[in-house]
Amino acid sequence: QNRTITGKVLDDSNAPVAGASVTVKGATAGTTTNDRGEFRIQVAPSATALVISSVGFVSREVSITNLGADNNVSVSLAKSVSALDEVVVVGYGTTKKSILTGSVASVRAKDLENVPNGRIEQALQGRASGVTIMQNSGQPGSASTIRVRGITTFNNNNPLWVVDNVVVDAGGIGYLNQSDIESIEVLKDASASIYGTRAAGGVILVTTKKGRSGKLSVSYNGFYGTSAPARMLELLNATQYATLINERSIAGGGGIVYNDISTLGVGTDWQKAIFNNNASRYLHEVSLSGGTDKSTFYVSAGIQKQNGIVSTEISKYEKKNIRLASTHKIGNYVTFGQTIGYTYQKSIGLGNTNSEFGGPLSSAINLDPITPIVVTDPSVAATPLYANNPSAIRDANGNPYGISLAVGQEMTNPVAYIQTRLGGYNWSDDFVGNAYLEVAPVKGLKIRTSVGVKKAYWGNVGFTPVFFLSPTVQQAQNSYNRGENRTFNWNVENTITYNRKFGDHDVTVLAGQGAYVENIGASTGMTYLNLPITSYKDASFNFDLPLANKQGYASDMTQHKVSSLFGRLNYAFQDKYLLTGIIRQDGSTRFGPNKKYSVFPSVSAGWNVDKEKFFPVNKVVSQLKLRGGYGTSGNDASDDFRYLSTVVGGYNYSIGNGGTVTTGYSPLTLDNKDLRWEKTATTDIGLDAQLFNNFNLTVNWFNKKTTGILRPILIPGYVGVSASPWANVADMENKGLEIELGYRKRAGDLNISINGNVTFIKNKVLYVAADTNFIVGGAGFQSMGTITRIKVGESYNSFFGFQRLGVFQTQADIDNYKNKAGTPIQPNARPGDFMWADINGDGVITNDDKDKTFLGSNLPKYTFGFTVNLEYKGFDMTAFFQGAGGNKIFQGLRRLDIANSNFTTKALSRWTGPGTSNDYPRLVSNDPNNNFAWMSDFYLEDGDYLRLKVFQLGYTLPAKLLNKTGISKVRFYVTAENLFTLTKYTGYDPEVGGGVFGVDRGQYPQARAILGGLQLQF
Amino acid sequence: CKKDFITITPQGQFLSENYYSNRDQAYTGLVGVYDVLRKNAGGFENMITFFNAASDDNYSGGGNSSDGAGIQSFANFTINPNLVPGSYWNDHYQGIFRANVLLSKIGAVNMNAAEKARFTAEAKALRAIYYFNLVRMFKNIPLLLEPVSANDIYNVTQAAPTAVYTQIEKDLSEAIPDLPNTVVLATEAGRLTKAAGQAMLGKVYLYDGKAAQAATQLALVNGPTPGQPNQYGNKLLANFADLWVFTNKFNSESILECVHTNQSNADWGFWGSSADEGNSVNQMVGPRSFAPTATYNGPDIYRAGWSFNTWTQDFYDAIKADPRFPSTVFDAKAYVAAGMATYIDGYMNTGYFIKKFLPLRSDQRTGGGTLELNFQQNDYIIRLADTYLLEAEALGATGTRAQALLDAVRARVGLTPVPVSLAAIKAERRLELAGEGHRFFDLVRWGDAAAKLGGRGFVAGKNEILPIPARELIGTKLTQNPNYQK
Repeated sequence: QNRTITGKVLDDSNAPVAGASVTVKGATAGTTTNDRGEFRIQVAPSATALVISSVGFVSREVSITNLGADNNVSVSLAKSVSALDEVVVVGYGTTKKSILTGSVASVRAKDLENVPNGRIEQALQGRASGVTIMQNSGQPGSASTIRVRGITTFNNNNPLWVVDNVVVDAGGIGYLNQSDIESIEVLKDASASIYGTRAAGGVILVTTKKGRSGKLSVSYNGFYGTSAPARMLELLNATQYATLINERSIAGGGGIVYNDISTLGVGTDWQKAIFNNNASRYLHEVSLSGGTDKSTFYVSAGIQKQNGIVSTEISKYEKKNIRLASTHKIGNYVTFGQTIGYTYQKSIGLGNTNSEFGGPLSSAINLDPITPIVVTDPSVAATPLYANNPSAIRDANGNPYGISLAVGQEMTNPVAYIQTRLGGYNWSDDFVGNAYLEVAPVKGLKIRTSVGVKKAYWGNVGFTPVFFLSPTVQQAQNSYNRGENRTFNWNVENTITYNRKFGDHDVTVLAGQGAYVENIGASTGMTYLNLPITSYKDASFNFDLPLANKQGYASDMTQHKVSSLFGRLNYAFQDKYLLTGIIRQDGSTRFGPNKKYSVFPSVSAGWNVDKEKFFPVNKVVSQLKLRGGYGTSGNDASDDFRYLSTVVGGYNYSIGNGGTVTTGYSPLTLDNKDLRWEKTATTDIGLDAQLFNNFNLTVNWFNKKTTGILRPILIPGYVGVSASPWANVADMENKGLEIELGYRKRAGDLNISINGNVTFIKNKVLYVAADTNFIVGGAGFQSMGTITRIKVGESYNSFFGFQRLGVFQTQADIDNYKNKAGTPIQPNARPGDFMWADINGDGVITNDDKDKTFLGSNLPKYTFGFTVNLEYKGFDMTAFFQGAGGNKIFQGLRRLDIANSNFTTKALSRWTGPGTSNDYPRLVSNDPNNNFAWMSDFYLEDGDYLRLKVFQLGYTLPAKLLNKTGISKVRFYVTAENLFTLTKYTGYDPEVGGGVFGVDRGQYPQARAILGGLQLQF
Repeated sequence: CKKDFITITPQGQFLSENYYSNRDQAYTGLVGVYDVLRKNAGGFENMITFFNAASDDNYSGGGNSSDGAGIQSFANFTINPNLVPGSYWNDHYQGIFRANVLLSKIGAVNMNAAEKARFTAEAKALRAIYYFNLVRMFKNIPLLLEPVSANDIYNVTQAAPTAVYTQIEKDLSEAIPDLPNTVVLATEAGRLTKAAGQAMLGKVYLYDGKAAQAATQLALVNGPTPGQPNQYGNKLLANFADLWVFTNKFNSESILECVHTNQSNADWGFWGSSADEGNSVNQMVGPRSFAPTATYNGPDIYRAGWSFNTWTQDFYDAIKADPRFPSTVFDAKAYVAAGMATYIDGYMNTGYFIKKFLPLRSDQRTGGGTLELNFQQNDYIIRLADTYLLEAEALGATGTRAQALLDAVRARVGLTPVPVSLAAIKAERRLELAGEGHRFFDLVRWGDAAAKLGGRGFVAGKNEILPIPARELIGTKLTQNPNYQK
């Protein structure tokens, strides 16, 4: 006869513990406590005890043999100060951190719930050691660049995202809602081998919230606030600008450009014209959870809207989402669970961000401050520039927006530019779901089948009116465009797990099989030209236009498939000696027929030293674990069909006497049937310790080496192909050290928790090709050409250019800068020009590689984050700092090839005579010494920064006040985001993310936001 | 089953794996092989101007002494592995690669057997022609008869020159039976005929020291009676000047010509690439900034060019009295002296330019592309007068047939017979084929290069061949040609 036991779980301050796991000792089935800490569980007559555990608490075993007639038990859990007791997700299962042998970073819902992030990558920033996150743009809703333990390949470095055991394509993670997240784990080392295929860039495991049995629980979280730019550039005002332009022109032998400088005043502040100090932002999220011991559910819905701080009319983001998760026990052995979510996103972007070729930011930085935003002077508006161009953009009063003739090319009046992009936006509909069936027929055995699907639609709409922004930027006919894409991804995984204890031996075996298909999809689009309208508001595809004005396009996507077999063995002896072995075999469509499959093994071991008898009981070290491992993983996030050669036209000859060209075809390059995975091998040595009872310390040293990086190889001409084939060529390594230190202490009513982490990474290219030790880098800048280089022994894509030795102050300095032969090295230089280092010592400065050298790396040498949490009675405070350092940023905000681009106020400290500057050269129009034209360390600045990312104050109403209301929690909070950033960098924002190699061409800066919010729980 | 799951075939693009599946696709592959014939006169780095420049008949010329480091250094024999233009190596190997691809695929193509045999023959013959150029230019070259697999790229070694010649002769011998006697000009002009195959094979045998075989092959092209049409209808043009009329394409004297057209819209962006079909020699050899004077009111015939390949005074003196002079030499100095035109002296200017290829106003393109790059004059890779003289040489420059062959070449331009001898044949070749890119190779074949070119800096035992481009030696198993190592 089974009996039902009810109970309540409380913490040491008698507050209910929600979500605590309650199981019968020796069985796996169990339940969890509801928000009041209550549980109800059916136990067999033979059951003798319950095991109660919860994250952050010391697990307890409670005897149930001597319960009263009501079968009720009250359990008090002691708060655990040891992170080692936490349960972590490791892929296809969980394990206690104390017996984990790998290096896994973990972030809990509790750490995130107070942080009003837009996307979940940002939630990870600064919280997990070894994980570097850089925001790509301050544009609301934009993604971040994530690097787990550095740059692993020359190609795609994105980590693999796995949500609730379902592999989700990278980049498509924006659909997730932060408040739905229970935990995030990052597999950083050999432990990632369980996802062998695509794990080289690290694996990020996201576990979402599930329902809890018991009374219906409802929670609400919402905030409203506004954003403003954290920092503006200091640009020259009209008077300063005209003075410098005149000086520059005269020095170059030209005439005076601006005669009446005294009348110019400060002129136009273009930044002010596009920045918004009051960009609104709000979010509302509601979730319901509940269920019985048979079935539980969790349903949530959210809406958020955010306006950007730059050109807000064309910088907005909104997201709406709904999600349902449920689990059901069918009989005694079977569990069924599912989640399904729908997310709608809509964003309007500036276009042309972080580009020196126009767009609002670049234009605002480079435009002359003399041109007015709006031309109000009728005599100016009557000039041919405006009068003869009826499509010049005008404001509501009919006045034309100012057009600069001093600063042309792609630079346009940013306020007018906004008018040309109205009505455009991107949208997406994502349906993501998964379902699983788990059978546990005998003790220790679990058989699980899961299916995951993602159906996504996304597209864009854009209207381009007829416009005249400048003589070079104009549009003669309007167009209306709509592009739509759809994909379907699915995957199936089957696993068997068996766990058994034999005396002191604890063995868990996992075996599994998976099949993954992505990109079953297609794209179509349509552009209508010359619509009989003038405003985007009237744009429609219903207009009946001649066929010639309707341009359609379409493409099919290429499927990406992976087939996998995997297994894992965990062995523990007395929880003291730990061993994990992993093996995974993957086959991928992306590799050559000879190398379709690859095997990724790993092995790791751990030793809980404190469990040894010889380990003395002491007050300093209460827990100590040493661990180490070695494993490999792969990367198949490369383009499809790189192992195949396409046959293309253009190899023509004229055959016949008519003079016509006959098209000839030839393979473009070689097939490479041996094209295979890039392999990344990680060695990891670490320790976890609990010190002085209140401190948790984790230290990891790693060496991550990737071999066979895919790149197009330069091949000898006798091969006979006109393009380079792809091959597994280059090698690169990342060595690093990660330190995490946590402190938790309760002193009376004061609860203190401080967690910090720091990661040091050194990246080094080991090999690039048989015939050369360098290849040109990925970043170019205007007419400088490539400004980075990938060279053996250097960090990936290091800056490469000329080195300054200072500014020549006098002609004597120039004459004295001599080579061995005694002749001046820079005979044509003038005082005020840069003294360039003669790197190769040949006595002359030449504009080629010989006098260029490595000037620094865009990769941070270290990244760090730390969080301080304080709780005192109902008050709480969170301060979260984060930063990076040791990297260089190329400050490329000025357009060099546009002679009259505006300068930052740094130019006021230019060289104007002996002793005036040894850093900023003279201004001269033709720049004969190439002071500005050459890539040099003049453009490089330190990227070090420390940012107070989040500062939050909250107050929770005392429980007794709420007793009769049915509300269990009310919390108010105020959050400040990006309150301050300490940096010497002179651009908008030192956080320059994305695939830009640290080149800031006008990055959309992150906003400073002040938000007020409310949390409710029923 | 599992393998199938992770194998997908791309849609909407052709792959080397599944292309060449029908006749039309095979034909486009064949056109790709033909494409490299363009090298003879297409692009700045073409065979004609480059090899003219290193002969005793022409200078490099151009705008100044650094106008084309490759051609300038070849002309004064300071050429080295870094200066030799890689395209002379690469382009020919691209033609060979495309021939190898086609030959490896064509067996499985579903098409008419006779046409398949013809395609095969053309691919083999073109491969032979490209190898012949390579072995003459670089001597020690890799001999690749199928596409190199990615794994073997760096394991390739150089073949013995004799092995290369053997393969060339084998390819041509196998090709000849399946090449057509004649082609339909409207749709096939420019494609290889039996005569082209036999002429090339004869020429190859001669270079390979197989004089008897050379004479046999060349006799098939030259016909039983020199001066009379051969079995295919080829005969010398009556008027030497007609050879250089740009509209007179595919004439009866032409055995194999490099085809050019003004319809490829050639532009600077792809000049000299596979999609450029203009004749670049025309533009290169015109006098620099050549323009009629203000007072000149005669016909405006010539366009300006870049003044490459000016004739040497030595050559001028040799041909001055010859009937072929007016078709061969353009005396710009005389134009200036007569007040008819002006031009700017280029590098190594002599005032004498190659009339055969002078850029003509009448040949100016009217369609798209750049004016300078769309001349349509074809040029001869081999023509009947050439094969006559080659056969006479192969016959040891003695005997009645050799005499008849020499006589026929001279008679066409109205010259009386001279007794046949090697010296007479050499003199005749020089004047008949002047400026057509043959002279350097002739001098080397005859062993006369050091004597004739020593004054230019030619080093015997070194400059008979070009250095292998430096790029080819990096990471590979190739070794540099003798005396070019440093």
